[in-house]
Amino acid sequence: MKATAKYFRNCIDALKTTLVGMRITGKYLLQKPITVQYPDERLPIPNRYRGIHYLEQEKCIECLACARACPIDCIEMDAVRHGKELEWISFTLDYQKCMFCELCVYPCPKDCIHMGTEFAFVSYDRSEFVHDLLSYRGMARDAKVRMLEAEEKKKAKEEAKKAKEAAKAAQLAEQEGKAAAGGAQGGPGQG
Amino acid sequence: MLTSMLAASVPQTGTNAINDFLAGVKPDYVPGWAVPLTAIGIAVGLTVAIISVVAMFSVWLERKVAGHIQCRYGPMRAGWHGWLQPIADGVKLLLKEDLVPLGADRVLYVLAPALVLASVLAAMSVYPLAPGFFFADIDLGIFFVLAMTSTTTIGVVMAGWSSNSKWSLYGAMREAAQVVAYEIPLGISLLVPIMVAGSFNLLEVSRAQTGFFGLNWYIWPWINPFMLPAFVLFFIAILAETKRAPFDLPEAESELVAGFMTEYSGIRWSFFFMEEYAAMFLYSVVGAFFFFGGFESPLTWGAAKLAGDGSVLHQVAAGTTLVVKGFAGVFLMMWLRWTLPRVRIDQVMTLGYKYLTPLALVCVLGAGLWEVFLTPILPWRHG
Repeated sequence: MKATAKYFRNCIDALKTTLVGMRITGKYLLQKPITVQYPDERLPIPNRYRGIHYLEQEKCIECLACARACPIDCIEMDAVRHGKELEWISFTLDYQKCMFCELCVYPCPKDCIHMGTEFAFVSYDRSEFVHDLLSYRGMARDAKVRMLEAEEKKKAKEEAKKAKEAAKAAQLAEQEGKAAAGGAQGGPGQG
Repeated sequence: MLTSMLAASVPQTGTNAINDFLAGVKPDYVPGWAVPLTAIGIAVGLTVAIISVVAMFSVWLERKVAGHIQCRYGPMRAGWHGWLQPIADGVKLLLKEDLVPLGADRVLYVLAPALVLASVLAAMSVYPLAPGFFFADIDLGIFFVLAMTSTTTIGVVMAGWSSNSKWSLYGAMREAAQVVAYEIPLGISLLVPIMVAGSFNLLEVSRAQTGFFGLNWYIWPWINPFMLPAFVLFFIAILAETKRAPFDLPEAESELVAGFMTEYSGIRWSFFFMEEYAAMFLYSVVGAFFFFGGFESPLTWGAAKLAGDGSVLHQVAAGTTLVVKGFAGVFLMMWLRWTLPRVRIDQVMTLGYKYLTPLALVCVLGAGLWEVFLTPILPWRHG
């Protein structure tokens, strides 16, 4: 008798638990999916996310503080100095090595290297993982203008200095000539 | 104009009608024996097309249902909500390398997927698509369907044996054991509606359920109260017959790699896949015919009242009804698949032999007694 009761209990339990399960999955079926269609829509990324770096190149002074701070030496930069202005050749970051520790960001005196929110980078070749962070090569136009201005200023200054020296030399020579002639007659004989 | 066109009565159409039509338009220089061959070719082509479309749609539906039950989207990128995905998959499978493992029994290995697919195609041939459209209208319709879908097992066992792999062999053994166990309750539970209808013919059974707003469907308890339990038993049995979770032991991807189709790839593998989905649909349609009124629904009833019995509108409504019912069954099977975990092989056997078979016998006995003693005094059974 006990076995018979168990038999029918099993039947009822099987049906009931199946229906309970179906109710749960049915609820999920009607619910809006929680995934997003990734390349088309993206979940918001926190501001302090440590993704691919970006560089504010105009502010950078090539002090190498970030490269020196990097524990795995994946930052390399190269630029030619023209006085205060920089002619950029390269600023590379090797993402095969980079471990996204953000240690390069803190020492920057000009606050010009940051970590962005972009995280997806895929490539067919390993060399493509060496990213060039420069947005332009050579000199920025305003830097060039500043450089030319500075050069002109320098030139003008030098010329003025030269002229002054020449004037001084002429004066000296005149004085010497006067002294040699013994005469007090003379005028401004400069050209 | 449109109303008269929709109300035009359609004669019973099938392979015979195609044959007659071709014989009518045949030019003299075409030999006479070409006519029936062409008719058969057209019928076979249509069957293959229907099965392929059904399988493709089912694959898409399965992936969408699976996705949404797990709170994801499923395929989204090929076409609108990924509806072209099965076509993309099909092209991929066609282009894949066709491998036959070393040591496999080549003849059986190549034959097995063909046999598996051919069995569902053969079963499909006796299905009416509308009250006036079928390829073959035979009196033992459901008998033929059950016989043909069981033939699948032979193909599966062939595949498992000829693959020369332990996983395949285990899968095949399980399939054989499972089908032997579940053919019995499947057949017996179907006896209940067959008894009520008094016919094996799918069209006859459907016609017997015609009635006001689908109130004559066999599933209703006022027709026969043993019908609902019989349907539950039938549904569990077809889950096992089509190797669907929770009875997907022949495939059992976490235990047996892919069971009997471990060694298959490319288009041969897709034959097994198509067979599974086509069989799901065909069994669901059997369920629709024998429990849920077949072609009968409020829609069909209304169309028949509006445009006349056997009119084009009626045929279209009936066909639509059948497809909707079939896919409702397929959807239910998918819903169950993504709800229940796989049962153990001994549990499968227990369920089949100790629960389904005796309960099916009880249902048949009860339904028979009801038919003999109560049906004569129930007024609504003599409409």
